[in-house]
Amino acid sequence: MLSTMLRYLTTHWEYVGQLTAEHIRIVFLANGLAVVLGLALGIFISKRGREGLAELVLYVAGILLTVPSLALYGILMAILKALGLMSIGIVPVVVALTLYGLLPILRNTTTAVRGIDPAMIEAGRGMGMSETQILWRVRIPLAVPAIMAGLRQAIVMNVGIAAIGAYIGAGGLGQLIFRGIANTRADLVLVGALCVSLLAIGLDVALGVVERLSTPRGLRKGVRG
Amino acid sequence: MIELRDVTKVFPGGTQAVDGITLVVHEGEFCVLLGPSGCGKTTTLKMINRLVPLTSGTITVGGRDIQKLRATELRRRIGYAIQEIGLFPHMTVAQNIATVPRLLGWRKAKRRARVRELLGLLGLTPVDEFLRRYPAELSGGQRQRVGVARALGADPAILLMDEPFGAIDPITRERLQDEFLRIQREIRKTVVFVTHDIHEAIKLGDKIALMKEGRLIQHATPSQLLAQPADDFVRGFVGTDRTLKALRLTSVREIMDSGPLSVRDDDSLAAARRAMDRLERSFLPVVGEDGLFLGWVGRNSVLGPPSVCVGDRITPYAVLGSPDMPLNEALALMLESATGNLPVTDEDRRLVGLVSFDRLFESLRQIYVEREAGEGSP
Ligand SMILES: Nc1ncnc2c1ncn2[C@@H]1O[C@H](COP(=O)(O)OP(=O)(O)OP(=O)(O)O)[C@@H](O)[C@H]1O
Ligand SMILES: [Mg+2]
Repeated sequence: MLSTMLRYLTTHWEYVGQLTAEHIRIVFLANGLAVVLGLALGIFISKRGREGLAELVLYVAGILLTVPSLALYGILMAILKALGLMSIGIVPVVVALTLYGLLPILRNTTTAVRGIDPAMIEAGRGMGMSETQILWRVRIPLAVPAIMAGLRQAIVMNVGIAAIGAYIGAGGLGQLIFRGIANTRADLVLVGALCVSLLAIGLDVALGVVERLSTPRGLRKGVRG
Repeated sequence: MIELRDVTKVFPGGTQAVDGITLVVHEGEFCVLLGPSGCGKTTTLKMINRLVPLTSGTITVGGRDIQKLRATELRRRIGYAIQEIGLFPHMTVAQNIATVPRLLGWRKAKRRARVRELLGLLGLTPVDEFLRRYPAELSGGQRQRVGVARALGADPAILLMDEPFGAIDPITRERLQDEFLRIQREIRKTVVFVTHDIHEAIKLGDKIALMKEGRLIQHATPSQLLAQPADDFVRGFVGTDRTLKALRLTSVREIMDSGPLSVRDDDSLAAARRAMDRLERSFLPVVGEDGLFLGWVGRNSVLGPPSVCVGDRITPYAVLGSPDMPLNEALALMLESATGNLPVTDEDRRLVGLVSFDRLFESLRQIYVEREAGEGSP
């Protein structure tokens, strides 16, 4: 079995590489959107006086995450079709992954932005910062590590969910798996699964580095002193 | 100048935190808000920079009603050091200190020069090293200093400080207080300083405003507060040892007998004996040719042949006082010393004065007399 897998990989590396590239593209596209939406929405709902709204948004995002991906694709296909948009292929998958990726980013952004030590806020306000200045100069920089952690979670999670997108023609590494299932070729299923896992692990490690680098130096653990 | 007139604060829950306070803090004055926990000190302070909106009354800063100013502008003109220090952990020490200058749009070169000046002023040296550090890389005492430096950032005329030397060990705390006093003598800010520590209040304040349950009970200088407590609450708050506290307020310089009579080490014993007879003293200080204090000569040791000089019969001194020493320390030293006289010398150990027990008791008695008089009147 291992040898057939290896043989497949050596003979089809170009094809596997292309699928990996498709996979990454879908995940990054979706998470790029999720980050923009999540940050904007997260910052918007973490303003003082919007606690109720924040609860609601987080609740809805949480429910979305419990919808099985295949069902969500189905629902989105119907909606997109009704809207006259492209209803199969990459579009519904990207939209679905964006929705899934939203929760970890939203949740981390709001808890971090709202959970800043009140002494920081008081110091900022007492020195004459406006609420907007406090948001951009204090709250958001202090929330960066948590936001990055949320993004990392979202990306790793979406690598797995994106595999199922091949079922509705979005391409990516899921194709190997679905073809393997259709032709009862376990080696193909395993190659696909292995690549998805390796991709998830690789991205997790790489994003861990990015997360550390993007953390303001004073907030990094293990600063001297 | 800061002026509070009939200022009241009732929080939304119904707590009356401040109840009709009227208080004037003059230009360059160091006013301490003192009182037990929950008496409304922080609330009073925060109303001055509008972090807490007032319920009624008026506050003016530099003659202008704070309600008529934009809150952010008002705050940028008032230095503010909070109890929790609240340094921004994602910013360097330099960026923290330059917060208000940046808000005011100072140019980079000016900001940088100001940061260096303040680091030097607060003893955070080498300056180049501290500039680049993050709050996590500082000790507690250093963080307090940066907190004070940040409050001084844009050189405001007014400083509001809420227990800025709170959470540090007593020794570092004393040192910070001393340094802050030195700085304050130099920069002469109008300061409102919150503490619940009577010792800190006495040490730092030109005036003390003692509060209780949101009301101002007594507003007076530290010595007035000690000598003439307005009521039992004040008496209880300043403590049973207020005589000793009053001693802390007076320095040796104020009561010492300056330019005391002394004998030289090359004087003859006979001359010393004559001087003792004339002054009716049994001990005299001995100084060298250069005025350096050498020790004492007593009546028992001046009996001897005329050829012997005082220098051969010196009793070494046990203790020395300095002009800036508070009287409580002087008293402690005298109780240890055999002579009941404290020689006072300058940094070069030249004799500049003497404090005798009689002198000390006289000043103590005055404190008592003042107090009796104070308590007798309504
Ligand atoms: N935001 C608030 N809402 C409601 N009540 C408050 C608020 N802030 C303070 N209080 C109440 O007002 C009273 C005075 O509080 P304040 O913080 O001014 O006391 P303090 O003298 O500074 O005490 P401490 O020495 O403990 O800091 C307290 O009873 C407190 O519980
Ligand atoms: Mg307080």
